[in-house]
Amino acid sequence: MSNVSFSLGQGQIALISGASGCGKTTLLRCINGLIPRSYKAELSGQIFLNGIDYRDKSLSNISQVVGTVLQDPERQIVGAYVQNEVAFGLENLELPRAEIVRHVDETLDYLGIAHLKHRETFTLSGGEKQKIALAGVLAMRPDILALDEPLANLDPASVQDALALIRRLADEGKTILLIEHRVEDVLSIKPDLTLHLQDGHTSYLGPVDGLLKDADYHAVKLPAPIVIARSKGRNATLPPAMSPASETAEALIQIEDVSFNYDGGPQILDHVNLTIRQGDVIALLGPNGAGKTTLAKHTIGLLRPNSGRVLLRGQDSREMTVAQMARTIGYVFQSPRHMLFAPTTREELAFGPRNLGHTEQDIQIDTEQALAVVHLSAEIDRPPLALSFGQQKRVSIASILAMRSAILVMDEPTAGQDFANYMSFMDSVVGLGVTEERPYSFSAILFITHDVDLAVCYANRVLIMGSGQIVADGPPPQVLADFDLMQRHRVIPTSLLKANLDYLSRTGQFMRAEGLATVQENE
Amino acid sequence: MLVNWAYIKRDTFFHRLDPRARIIFMLCALIALGFIPGRGTGFWDMRVVLVFLGLAFLQIIVARITWRQMRRFWIIITIVAVMLSLVTLLTGRGAAGVYDPSMEHVIGSFKILGLSIVLSAERISYLITQMMRIMTFAALSVVIPYTIDPALYGIAFKGLGLGDKVAYAMDLAFRFIPTLGRDMQIIMDAQRARGFELEAGRGTNLLQRIRNFAPLLIPLTIGAVVEGEEISDAMDLRGFGVGKRTWLPRLTYQTIDWIYIGFGVLIVAVGIVAKRAGYGGLWIPPWLYG
Repeated sequence: MSNVSFSLGQGQIALISGASGCGKTTLLRCINGLIPRSYKAELSGQIFLNGIDYRDKSLSNISQVVGTVLQDPERQIVGAYVQNEVAFGLENLELPRAEIVRHVDETLDYLGIAHLKHRETFTLSGGEKQKIALAGVLAMRPDILALDEPLANLDPASVQDALALIRRLADEGKTILLIEHRVEDVLSIKPDLTLHLQDGHTSYLGPVDGLLKDADYHAVKLPAPIVIARSKGRNATLPPAMSPASETAEALIQIEDVSFNYDGGPQILDHVNLTIRQGDVIALLGPNGAGKTTLAKHTIGLLRPNSGRVLLRGQDSREMTVAQMARTIGYVFQSPRHMLFAPTTREELAFGPRNLGHTEQDIQIDTEQALAVVHLSAEIDRPPLALSFGQQKRVSIASILAMRSAILVMDEPTAGQDFANYMSFMDSVVGLGVTEERPYSFSAILFITHDVDLAVCYANRVLIMGSGQIVADGPPPQVLADFDLMQRHRVIPTSLLKANLDYLSRTGQFMRAEGLATVQENE
Repeated sequence: MLVNWAYIKRDTFFHRLDPRARIIFMLCALIALGFIPGRGTGFWDMRVVLVFLGLAFLQIIVARITWRQMRRFWIIITIVAVMLSLVTLLTGRGAAGVYDPSMEHVIGSFKILGLSIVLSAERISYLITQMMRIMTFAALSVVIPYTIDPALYGIAFKGLGLGDKVAYAMDLAFRFIPTLGRDMQIIMDAQRARGFELEAGRGTNLLQRIRNFAPLLIPLTIGAVVEGEEISDAMDLRGFGVGKRTWLPRLTYQTIDWIYIGFGVLIVAVGIVAKRAGYGGLWIPPWLYG
């Protein structure tokens, strides 16, 4: 990172955006003091917090001025219980016990989560963890809050809650540095300043309006009406929209009356019925804890139903091992951390196909192709564990692509990735027929996502899950038009969805914003 | 993030004891049974071991820990105990100092897989006693994680005389164990989804066999290291480790805690006296000489 300068007043919000690897997190670490104290780095220039240069002060001094909420609350929470977690920083400041208790209670009340006080932290939902992580920092009463991608792990309704809270904190005098590549979502809280970084340089610094006008809408996700207005006359070539699979198409996966719960735990799947047919591209939406991942794990036999059955091409999953099912189904896990192990990316990608007994010649071709699709050809001889998180996620996806499965199941494939990268890889994976840009043609795809726009752009069938049941199942224009039902299940309509619904009588199908621009132009 | 042990809040005599008293008692019992120097470190008289085993299970019963909670733990411990004991039996090694190999009362011998195995009264007694000792160590330890409120780990270690930093580190280390277990499960699933099947026996040499575990062990190790770094960042950012700290939870000894600790110390003292007097060596049931 070089030559970055900006200043922010009390009670203001700065939005710091940019693609993964642009230096957002590095900037944050310079401000909160981890650089150069925990990470060795060459730091020049000056950083003033409340007008004071903290260069020679300790981290605990800085932590009372800047509170940092890390990208993933999972990585921040150290306490076993909520109360201990929120008290942690105050304990370190050696405050008297009574004062700690008071601060903890006040903070929990302020965030409306007093009821969580005695819960074990690891049992909380994603949105709750986020709030606890924030509470742990707020309890220390810092003037400045640095939030690193606070929206990344939340379902859409929790995103709205978090944003409203951030606005309120700013209104009450906290100064907020908000790192987020979901620019569109953040616009609703009207940041006072935006800083867009590219390769460690400032590519834009100023009010939001300028960013909306200037930023490349392929790299930064902007509101649909703005993209429609700006892309007019560009005649973007878009992949053809997908029509729903035929109802008589071959049934690939049949989930019949499946119920599931962990040993003595609550019912996670409750009599679920679902048939996935040849040609289905399914977006699975719903709040955290609705049972989406549990359902997906049943398709590859990682979990077996307590009652009911799962058929893969007509064969009962109970009669097959996971390794056998992996010949047909490629399953991309949420976190890449749990699978990467090989010394080189090439070896990593070859692992799956080798287990399946593919020939070395095929493996080589499939490996190179899969890496090209996720834009990582240059990293083929590097150790995957040395790559950035976003890159690791793409390696994990490529590892599954290289297995050439007939069916692809992905659990939040776009989480932690920037817009340009995930759109490009979705373009490469989802679609019908093989083209030069898209060497894959899956018989069926199912992806779990919190991103409604992903469903709008890529799915030909949308499922919404709530409390262990499928509450809606149909083509996107039908399911995603029922705002009441969506909101009941914490799915929030986006600007792209609304624009699509406005145009639906003319288009007859959903498309991305640039497509809508073409439609508008032709009228 | 760190997962807690399957602690279930219960109101039993054992749960009401101060966590420090429970830990001190455990350490006393472990030392008395296993670490007092003499002929064969600790006690090898299976009658004495049986008393310890009884005490350990009494704790488990009083604390009302269910079989369901401990099932996995016991499966692993049984495998370890059986493997260790069989190795001793097969090789005849590992018993150094407990009995005199030149004076064995051989009962018989047989050949298995080309190895000739000698069965003697000493070896059989040693085998049984060793298994009982491992089970006792396990039973004494297992009550700790299942009965101590995770919120009290840090303050308990602090109260045992460790410094702030070390006490908190112990707290984290304690919770790292179930976290590794959970991570292992996820990693196993992720690799099975890539067609991986654990065939530990595949391959001709040891190196190849170890390599078969790489897809599981590398993500587990790297994950643990990364998680460790993240936790340390998160703690730094909240001012940990720069000075003295307050501990929110509080612990106070009651009379019963002192009695419990006293009982533990007594066991060690009696153990030392008995070992000094030459008791506690390997006991061989008379009928084995038969």
